[in-house]
Amino acid sequence: MRRGLALPLAMLLFTGVLLAQGFGDKPPVAVAPIGNVQMKAGASKSVSLDFRIGSEFHINSHVPKSPLLIPTVLKLSGPEQVTIADLKYPAGQDMSFSFSPDEKLSVYSGDFTIDAVVKAGTAAGTYPVKGELRFQACDHSACFPPRSIPVQFQVTVVK
Amino acid sequence: MKRNALVFVALFVAILAMLASGKYLDRTRKHGPLKLVGNVQGVQAPDFSLPSLDGRKVKLSDFRGKAVLLNFWATWCPPCKVEMPWFADLQKQYGQDGLVVLGVAMDDSEPATIAKFASEMGVNYQVLLGTNKVSDDYGDVQYLPTTFYIARDGTIVDKMTGLLGRKDIEDAVKKTLNANYKPASVPLNQADATMKQAVAAKGVSPRGASR
Repeated sequence: MRRGLALPLAMLLFTGVLLAQGFGDKPPVAVAPIGNVQMKAGASKSVSLDFRIGSEFHINSHVPKSPLLIPTVLKLSGPEQVTIADLKYPAGQDMSFSFSPDEKLSVYSGDFTIDAVVKAGTAAGTYPVKGELRFQACDHSACFPPRSIPVQFQVTVVK
Repeated sequence: MKRNALVFVALFVAILAMLASGKYLDRTRKHGPLKLVGNVQGVQAPDFSLPSLDGRKVKLSDFRGKAVLLNFWATWCPPCKVEMPWFADLQKQYGQDGLVVLGVAMDDSEPATIAKFASEMGVNYQVLLGTNKVSDDYGDVQYLPTTFYIARDGTIVDKMTGLLGRKDIEDAVKKTLNANYKPASVPLNQADATMKQAVAAKGVSPRGASR
């Protein structure tokens, strides 16, 4: 029985390794799943969107210190019954890196949260909100071109 | 039991083949076949024709006979900034020996913005405006800075990704300058005569001859 399981298990492990290698070009930022947001008609609500940056990376904050650096920007849009009234970005951390120890950059690293203020219309229903987070990531010695990841959630408006 | 195992292995291999071909097809659909992947040393550097900041078309093949340091960079890449003054120094130091530094800006910024940035970095070498095609031809250059060291005969001597130390870069420059050069179009006796004429005219020994 043990021998019978060894081959499938070894192959499963191998497949996992291959898949992990295949996903090597995945974005270094991921968004946590967002549940269905329940709201009363006509109300406003702050929805926290949690992002995680890969451990070796950092991305520019929403307000980088140079106009040449590409800011992190979240764009969201929904149907007429759901509007994004405001987006609240966290302040960046001023950090210096080994490639330029004398220069401080305003970055996000690890986990960060952007709060989206959602305003519901008067008609009840479930509405999709879709958009993307655009960012530009670097590690300790190099940078990747700007990338975007999709961000979406649903808003259920009740009377 | 043995037959079941064989069927299982066959299925497994088939799934792996499908995954691999799917990934390859996905890449080729997006970028076309990648030309420079894996170990690129000794491979002929793909020729390109890119606009320079002053609007001229510059080809890599224009520099056949020179050692070329081809640096992919961007204005939004802080580690790239660190290398640029080093490249300017190396261009000054080894230009007479036949080094040509070419910067390829993988940037969406306006040429004027790139030119201003390059000027602030003390760049004294040609900066070209990169395209997706040249990135693809050089193996889908995503990680910046990436630098190719190209010998006088157009073959790639080395490829370096990410910021390295100045000494590593200078060592690669020296290696590239000294890489075997076999002129393809000029007969050796003619090249020798041209060299002798140049020496006679200047009355000096050619740089590098005593090294």
